[in-house]
Amino acid sequence: MAGTHSTNLHLEKYEPSQRLKTASYAFIAIGVIGFLVGLLKNQDRLWTSYLVAFYYVTCLGVGGLFFTAIQNVAKAGWSTSIRRISEGMTSFLPVVLVGSVVLLAGLKKLYPWANAEVVAGNPMIEAKVAYLNVGFLVVRLLIFALGMLFFGKKIVGNSLKQDSTGDENLTHKNVGWSIGWILFFSLSFSLFSVDLLMSLLPTWYSTIFGIYCFSGLFQSSLAFMILIMLYMKRQGVVQGYYTIDHVHDVAKYLKAFTVFWAYIAFSQFMLIWYANIPEETEFYLLRADGGWMAISMSLLFFKFIIPFLALLPRGAKRNESHLTVMCVLILVMQYVDIYWLVYPNFYEGHVVFGFYEISMLLLFLGIFLSTMMKFFQKNSVVALKDPRLHEALTHHVTY
Amino acid sequence: MATIYKPGMAAIFETEEAILKAAHKVKEMGFKKFDAITPYPVHGMEEACGIQRSWIPYVAFVMGVFGCSSGWLLTWWTSAVNWPLNIGGKPFHSLPAFIPIMFELTILFSALSSVAALFYACGLPRVNPPIIHPDLTCHKFAIFIPRDDVGYDEGKIEGMFQALGASAIKRAEF
Repeated sequence: MAGTHSTNLHLEKYEPSQRLKTASYAFIAIGVIGFLVGLLKNQDRLWTSYLVAFYYVTCLGVGGLFFTAIQNVAKAGWSTSIRRISEGMTSFLPVVLVGSVVLLAGLKKLYPWANAEVVAGNPMIEAKVAYLNVGFLVVRLLIFALGMLFFGKKIVGNSLKQDSTGDENLTHKNVGWSIGWILFFSLSFSLFSVDLLMSLLPTWYSTIFGIYCFSGLFQSSLAFMILIMLYMKRQGVVQGYYTIDHVHDVAKYLKAFTVFWAYIAFSQFMLIWYANIPEETEFYLLRADGGWMAISMSLLFFKFIIPFLALLPRGAKRNESHLTVMCVLILVMQYVDIYWLVYPNFYEGHVVFGFYEISMLLLFLGIFLSTMMKFFQKNSVVALKDPRLHEALTHHVTY
Repeated sequence: MATIYKPGMAAIFETEEAILKAAHKVKEMGFKKFDAITPYPVHGMEEACGIQRSWIPYVAFVMGVFGCSSGWLLTWWTSAVNWPLNIGGKPFHSLPAFIPIMFELTILFSALSSVAALFYACGLPRVNPPIIHPDLTCHKFAIFIPRDDVGYDEGKIEGMFQALGASAIKRAEF
């Protein structure tokens, strides 16, 4: 072929630095301390911050499996050498099950509909009791957590098995599993978002809410994926298997889903703003009040306008340090987005942020980092025996 | 049509490798206006021919910004200046209501102008261009050097094409 690619392929076994290991364990330790202090001192703050952090990191893990699945379904060649990165992100999925179970302890603090006294006096919530009740929620959470665990085991498991056997049939099998996962994911993730975030304000509803959450999920997962790709490259673990051309293509994805997020966020806002129906506008009224207006506007600027313009030029998507800054910005804004979905329901007119929010975020990020480190220590960073790997090795972005 | 086809020299090659090597060589020899004709996109051809990045994205961006601002102007002038209508008690100048139109005009202007720019940049429409070799749309490759290129010298070019392993060399129009 064209000879535009370096032929020196180099793949090392990944070994995390001591600093990274210490950091992630320290994160978990701070998180556990924060959790215990919160349990004793301030349960209200603890559970809201727990919910935000849990949902945020769950999105990253699930997003990894979603990316893997679309590559499998599309039978993509270019992405085979980076697919293991998104597969690594799914190593968090078992924690979702544990996290959901722990969350059940905070249901009464978080959800008005979980308190019989609140429901009794409110006909609007009473009408939703058939869906919004603790028993059914537990069933839904279990189905979601076990379902993603099952599909994750199948899809990522097949890919890992191929590393040793080289069996091409595993690639074909994964197409079917991935289609199943996408169907399961689209339904269950919508309900998961409705249950965990939308029902915090049980009188309010938005039919686009599930897609809104999905757009943030995919945007942030792509940003996270780019960060790991660049990290692995910088550590010298991978050389030649993926190049700046692959990073460029994932960055295009990131830009596209930055626009997609804005599109969905605006669609939700404009229809509610235009129709001006009280039971729909309450959501935005809470978020236009006092300090929350600044957070709402920051989403517009830092989650859409700035990343969009900053990712628009070709050079921006091929410049590693610029891309790193943008990915970190998007990841921070995704946290702010979920925080913005949760907190105004509890703290009208004033913004609260502090030790609990930070420690819960560190708890889940620490767990996420350590599960991923274990995954990459155990498995190869590139799916070396994928039958389409040769396509990825000659992948080249033409202008 | 208005397009004038230029006379020059053409060489036919049988393989992708040969045409890439030839394109590299022709560029090295200092030719600027030559063209490589292939039946399908060949990887690495942009570098081989020394083709610079297209300027069309800049047209798309500028026209997109223009479309966006003209959408704003249009909606502002029609709903707040020329014929103000009270819609649900909202302000006359209500940006959220204007955004869909601004968005659509951004897309419309940048899409149409990039197509127009593409036509201009490629010299389209090229109806009924001269045929250098009928197999060029199927499995053969060609390099064409027009007569007005720098350092055009038929004897020298023929020698170079022969050294590159051309299967046929001819005077042609393209």
